[in-house]
Formats: sequence, structure tokens, C-alpha cells
Amino acid sequence: MCGIIGYNGFRDADIVILNGLKKLEYRGYDSAGIAIIDKKQQVYKEIGEIKNLEEKLPKIKGTIGIGHTRWATTGGVTKNNAHPHLSTSGKIAIVHNGIIENYVKLRENLEKKGFKFVSQTDSEIIANLIEDNYKGNLKDAVFSAIKKLEGYYAIVVTCEDEPDKIIGARLQSPLVIGVGDNENFLASDIPAFLKYTNRVIYLNEAEICVLTKKDVKVYNKDEKVVDKKENVIDWNIQDAEKSGFPHFMLKEIYDQPDTVNQVLRGRISEIHRNINFNENVENLLNSNISSIQIVACGTSYYAGLIGKYIIEKFTDTPVFVEFASEYRYFGLKHESSLVIAITQSGETLDTLAALREAKNSGCKTLVITNVVGSTATRISDAYILMQSGPEIGVAATKTFTSQIIVLLLIALKLGMIKNKISAVQLYEYIRYLREIPRTVRDVLNKNNEILDIAKQLKNAESVFFIGRGVNYPLSLEGALKLKEISYIHAEGFAAGELKHGPFALLTKSTPVVVIATKDATYDKILANIGEVKARGSQVIAIAEIDDTEIEKHADFVLRVPGGSGVLPSIPIIVVLQLLAYHVADLRKCSIDKPRNLAKSVTVE
Amino acid sequence: MKAVILAAGEGKRLRPFTETMPKVMLPIANKPIIEYVFDAIKKTGMDEIILVVGYKKEVIMDYFKEYKGIKITYIIQDKQLGTAHALLQAKDNLKESFIVLAGDNIIDDKGIQKLIQDKSEYSIIVKEHPYPSKYGVVFLENQNLKEIVEKPKEEIGKFISTGIYKFPMNVFKKLEQLNKQGIHDLSSVVESLLKDGILFSTNTADSWMDIVYPWDLIQVNEIMLQNIKGSTSGTIEKNVIIKGDVSIGKDTKIYSGSYIVGPVIIGEVCEIGPNACIFPSTSIGNNSVIHPFTEIQNSIIMNDVHIGSSSFIRNSVIARGSILRHNFTSSSDECTIEIEGEFKKVENIGSLIGEDCTIENHVVVDPGVIIGRKCNISSMKRIRKNIQSNSKVM
Repeated sequence: MCGIIGYNGFRDADIVILNGLKKLEYRGYDSAGIAIIDKKQQVYKEIGEIKNLEEKLPKIKGTIGIGHTRWATTGGVTKNNAHPHLSTSGKIAIVHNGIIENYVKLRENLEKKGFKFVSQTDSEIIANLIEDNYKGNLKDAVFSAIKKLEGYYAIVVTCEDEPDKIIGARLQSPLVIGVGDNENFLASDIPAFLKYTNRVIYLNEAEICVLTKKDVKVYNKDEKVVDKKENVIDWNIQDAEKSGFPHFMLKEIYDQPDTVNQVLRGRISEIHRNINFNENVENLLNSNISSIQIVACGTSYYAGLIGKYIIEKFTDTPVFVEFASEYRYFGLKHESSLVIAITQSGETLDTLAALREAKNSGCKTLVITNVVGSTATRISDAYILMQSGPEIGVAATKTFTSQIIVLLLIALKLGMIKNKISAVQLYEYIRYLREIPRTVRDVLNKNNEILDIAKQLKNAESVFFIGRGVNYPLSLEGALKLKEISYIHAEGFAAGELKHGPFALLTKSTPVVVIATKDATYDKILANIGEVKARGSQVIAIAEIDDTEIEKHADFVLRVPGGSGVLPSIPIIVVLQLLAYHVADLRKCSIDKPRNLAKSVTVE
Repeated sequence: MKAVILAAGEGKRLRPFTETMPKVMLPIANKPIIEYVFDAIKKTGMDEIILVVGYKKEVIMDYFKEYKGIKITYIIQDKQLGTAHALLQAKDNLKESFIVLAGDNIIDDKGIQKLIQDKSEYSIIVKEHPYPSKYGVVFLENQNLKEIVEKPKEEIGKFISTGIYKFPMNVFKKLEQLNKQGIHDLSSVVESLLKDGILFSTNTADSWMDIVYPWDLIQVNEIMLQNIKGSTSGTIEKNVIIKGDVSIGKDTKIYSGSYIVGPVIIGEVCEIGPNACIFPSTSIGNNSVIHPFTEIQNSIIMNDVHIGSSSFIRNSVIARGSILRHNFTSSSDECTIEIEGEFKKVENIGSLIGEDCTIENHVVVDPGVIIGRKCNISSMKRIRKNIQSNSKVM
């Protein structure tokens, strides 16, 4: 998915296009670019969010131009692969959303004719294809070009020889026309130009349109002019893309039953009792691994800590988890160890650097990421995609659960390879994985209970999260979620460590969230609750459904579906996410874009 | 011309299936009911849908951003007062004559096409129906609508109102006027318009199906599966027999010795067999697993369902996420079912099992029994009566 926009009018095109792209950011945000005609095509592109482009963009004159925000599909996230793409002569600029299935063949043909390509994308061929067909009329050239395309597309085209018009075409991908006075717009979605006009024309399949400042002409696939009616948009739903949810974060929390199915897709077979990865990953896991190092930052680092518990449990292989920013300079690099890098965007600078260091030292490298074609996937030996779809809320939610599931799959596969896990155990875990969507739904149904508990936390100045075993990294993640979106100071601790220092910070007004599952340390965690209560702090326990003991100890209890070992982890994460969300919402914080934070951190 | 689709209702008589999603999102042949309505609208060439949503609106809004190039505008009806009230919410998004139809009726495009081409300002689609007394029975005079009698006790006519109308913008005056008087259903509005002497031309639908009760899902599923084309994109092991039209989704695996007779649709990422039998007319959703030696016929199995080995399922609906361990039996027979205080005789019905249930080994469910959402049933039980949601049978 990508967002595209075109403008032809009297305003400064750079401002109109940047504003529009920000509204389209939900469609992708790994790189962005604009091309404005000021006598010649002026093209600027940057990797990262649109803000990044905005900061680096010089003032461009010109009132006609196009823009693009990208969610990489074909070709990695690089400046060259970002749109707009120029034709070889540099005269024609295009932006594209969709997939051109026959681009390899088209590219070969064009290369034979002497056209030059600078990107790995399927989109660039469109620019050269139009130039190849250009005989002085851009509209005719676009018609000839799209006839050769297979796949689906929405495209917007400008040509510096005809600086009075922009042309749009669509097949299966969205493109709408915004009609203004002495200005016209084209965009993937209405919000992109809603600030300037609420009059729109919808393009049907295979239609193309020519927009000058003054008028709009739409042609059908037989190149006949078609009469189009204007529609006046009266939006009483602000953000249709959020599907009625007030924030992307909440939507993404609710996406999790589906994203869990996506990450499992094709990777588990219940009847066959098998875990499958692609060949590169399987070869890597089969290659006699003596130890594993997980490198990551932020939430991904906590996923790594959970991964350590899971992988060590199933494989008896030692796992070390390190911050990517530390590992790159100070980490020990063993040739026989497997380095697993976890990065949602595949572009986190510190993680990429750690990955390169590992590779240079001869380590085997495996990447867990959400973005196909990202830099991380290209510099590692193998990669596993989370397939969770774009995550827009800055606080990671669905990608965190997906990361943990991928790590669990890796652990099970390695356990099978190393003969450390029985067929019966494996089957039980596969059944468990199959049931996760249902257990997550169970937690989502408790949203109102969690909201009630959030009211207890909303005025706190400081909140502690404690747990033992795998619940310790969960506590860290719970604290991170809370602090990053609600701005309440929050810390996660290993429950046994409280008395070695953090107790000094505990006051009556510090609520403590305790994750208490019925594992071998259950009695110990009850004792920890006792210690906390003795200092007068309120205890909110997250416990299993059938735990009848916990009520006697905690002030409030939130229930999750039970199971042994790592099994309750995913529902617990969802509880922690909802808790943080509601606290932040009650405090009226900017949930999707917390202060000072960015979605993917591409700086050191 | 724009189409206004009313999809705000819950569908109480379809509980427990509608506890987590509106009626229009229930799957028929692995597609939400409302998608059939969208398909018909797309075929007529209409270019915009105004979708009035209310109950569990997020489920619809999340699923459809637009539909194959048709723009969807969502309107929210906060309180589900009635169909006229729902239509009134769409007023500001309309400028000219429009079509209004229900999101939970399956109709073909020809009927709607007739309505669009009809010259008269007000128009309605009617349909001959074998059980007219469930609906509003219509009487005509010179091909114009004369009267609608809602749910008559006796059989007084064969034609019923499908609730599909063409209205001019003028209708909103009437809607507003009656709304103030607390009249919120569309058929009362039509009645009042008829009294004012407004002429409604009539058009007949070729095909129109209404889904009111859980067993309607099974019947309509059977009918819609007749249009399924055979296609296999999953992995099919050796010695699997496939006869008739069977559609198998991506990443689905059918294991050796399984026997599938179409029309059958199987979704994506399912696992079936070895030695499982799927007979007509069955729909199986995504991510479902059917274990060895299980037989399923004429049923709807939704997404994420687990059915253990040696089970027998017939004329049944199993909702999303339910787990049926081995040797589950749904016995199927004629029976009388109570729905919202009404007693309904159903010819051949198995079990109706809500979302996220767990049913342990060797459970037998009597014909027509409705098991609510999130029920747990322990092993070796025979279930004779309906079970409310969130119950445990020990």
C-alpha cells in the first residue's frame, strides 16, 4: 500500500502536497518524495516519515507537482526506490501505487532500447514506458503505456514539456479527483485534499483523467470522453481508515486476532505436526548453532528477552540478548553463533549496524521484520516476515505479539532439529498457537474491566510492573507501553530484585502491577505482593482465570486465559497494551504520536 | 444513482451468532451477507454506497473500506430505532433519487436494475414468496402498490414487499414528519405515503432471500454454493478424491484419503484429513482444521474452528473459534425451536454452536439445539436443550 497525490493550481505545490501526504501517511511511511515542475522537474526524496522529507526539503517554486508516501513492496527502502520516478530524460515524473506484474519483461525491453533504470522497483518502468510512447502528447503516451501494463495501479504523471497538466490513471488501486476553483487534485484518498475542496469525482476502473488548473476531463479505456458527476463530500466520520476506532493504537490492538493468524500462516501444520520456514531460514537453523545472540532496540529488545526464555527452554541453547546500540560496539561476535536481529521497520539504524558488524565477523544472521524489502532483509542471511500490515501507532502493539510468535516458532523448530522436544509437546504448542486468536479475543472482551483498572492508575506519578521468569520482560514491556504513551513514570522489575534497591522508591501512591501466573515461582510472587502491600501500595494483579488464591492478596485482579510456562504471555501482553492505552486516553495524551518519539528510528 | 444500505441492526433472532458481529457480516459461502448486496449494486453500475451502520459497526467498517472501486460512505445510526430512522440519517449525503435496501437480504442485480430504470419517482420491488405471512404482503392495483399488510395471520396474498425502494428526495419530508411522531419503520412511512395518494410503481425480483433465523443461514448457504466454481490453490495430497465444484483456498492442505463432494467451499490456511469426508453443501472458513475420519455435510463452519477426529456434523452452523474435540456428533432431525419467544418448526436441523465454545470428547447434541457463545461442555455429555452464552456444562 502506498499513498499518491497530484496538484495543479495556484498555491505553492510543495505545501499542498506535503499536507496531503501527511493525511495519506496511514497508507505507508517508509519513504516519501515529491516532484514539482519549476521549468524542470524538481525531485526530492527521503527515507523515513514524511516529517523527514519536510525537514530536508528546500523551498521549491511551482504550482504543479506530484507526491508519494511509500510502503515498500518491490525493492527495498532506499532513496532510489522512493517515488517519484523520473524517465531517463528526466522530463516525465510518475508516482505509482500498486504492483506491475510484468515489469521484469517490460524493463528488459526498455533497457534494450537504451532506457536507464536507477531503482529496483516495478514502478520506474512506467516513467520510461510513457517516455517511450511520448510523441508530443502526454495523454496519448499514457494511454499507450497503460495498455502494456499487467497488474494493478493508480498513477499520477507530469511532464515538463506540458507543464499545464497532470494525468491520472487507475486500475483496482484507488484514485479520486478533487475539484477546486482554478485548482484540481488527484489522490489515493479524499482526506489528502479535503482541506482545500470537498467536491470529488470518482474514477472508474481503467479510466484516465487529465487535469489542468481550470478543468477536468475523464476518458474511458477506449479514449472517449466520459461525463462525470461531482460528488460533494460531507464527512461525518473523520478517519475512515481507523475503522471507527478513536486511535490507530486501539485499532492495532484489536487487529491482533488477525495478525496472529497472518504470522502463523503457512508456518504451522497441525495434522502434519510440523513448523515450516522458507528454505534460507531452515538452512540457517539446521546449521549447528551453538549459541544465539538476539540484538534489538526498544520493544523489540523486550521481545528478544521473552525469546531468550522460550528458546532456552525448548532447545537448551544459550541465548544472549543485547541492545543493538551496545552490541555493535561492544558485543562479542562468535562465528558459530546465530545473530537474530528484531526490527519492525527493518530500518532501525542501530540494529542495522549491529547486523553488519555481526556479518563482518562471520556470524550467521537472521532478521525478524515487518517490512518486505527493507534494508535488514537485504543484508541478512535469511529473514522471517511478521506479515502484520502497516503499524501506524508509534507504540508497537501487534508487531510485538507477532515478534514473540515468530520467536516461539523458531524455538519449536530448533527444538525439533535438536531433538529436545517431543512430538506430543510439539502438538500441544501447535494447538496453543492455533488458539491464540481466540484467547486474544477473550482479553479484548474484557476491555471495560481494563478501563476500570486504568482509572486507578491515571493519577499515579509512578507505576511499577513486576514479574518473574518470562513475566519479567513482560513487566518491562508493560512499563514501556505506559510511559511512552501516558508520560507516567513507569519501571519494570524482576520481582525478586525489588528488595535490592527499587523498594526505596516505593510509596503508598505507587501502584504496582504484578504479573502472577501459576508457574514454579507462584508462591514467591505472592510473597512479593505481601512485601509491596506492607508498604501500603495498591496491587493490581494479572492472573489466570482459575486462580482463586490471588484475590486474597491483590487489590484488583485482571484475568487472562491460563496455561503453563510461556502460554499466557500473549494474552498478558494484550492486557498490558489496553491498560496503557486507557490510562493515556484518560489523561488525554497524544496516543498515536507521543511527544519526542518516532515510529522507526533511523538515526543513531 | 446512490444506494443506501441499511446495516445497523443486530439480528436478535440470529443470536448467538450476532453477539460479536452484525447480522450482515455473517458468512454465506465464506462471504459476508452484505457482500452479495454490494455485488448486485456493482453489477448495476451504481457508483456510491451510503452504508448506515450501528450495532457492532467496527466489524463492517474494518472489513470494507470501499468495494471493488465503489466508494462506501459510512453513516452511524447510534440508536437502532427502525429502518425509517436509519434512512433519515443518510439525508445529508443524498442529492437526488436513490435506492434503499437492506444489507441482510440477498438479491440479484436484475431486480435493482429494473428499479433504477423505472420512470416513476416512487418504486418498490416485490417478490412472490412461499411463506408470505412472515413478511409484509402487498396488494397491487394497475401495477401500482395499493396496500401493504404486515405479517398477516392468514394467507391473503402471495406477493411480499422486499423492502427495496426507489425514493426521490421528497421522501425525507415525510420521514422527518413521522420521525417526530415516533414512527421509525419504513413500511409505516410507505403506508402513509400511499394514503397521501403517492403512486408506487412495482417491479418483481427474480431472486431475493431473507435471513431471519439461524437455519436460514444453512438454506441460503446451500443456494449460494450452487454458484461456486471449482478451483484449488492449496496443497492436495495423493489419493484425495474431489468431485463436483469444490473451491479450495490458498495455503490449505487436504490430506490423503479425504473425499470431498461439491458444491463445497474451503477457505485459506485450513487443514483437512487424512480421511475426512466433506459433502454438499458445506462452507468451511479460514484457518479451520478438520481431523481424520470426520464427516461434514450441509453445514457452515466459520473461521478458526477445530473439529476433532471421528466427528459427525450435519445441517449445522459452527461459529468462529469453536473447538470440538473428537467424536462430536450433531444429530439432525425435524424439531421445534424457540427463538425470541416464537416457536418455529424446522424440517431438518443439526446443532447451532456459537463463537469460541470448547466442547470436549464424545459429546452428542440433539437436533436444533442452540449453544451460546463461549460455552464449555465437558466430555461424554448429551445436550438436549439450548445453552446460554458463557455457560459451563460439567
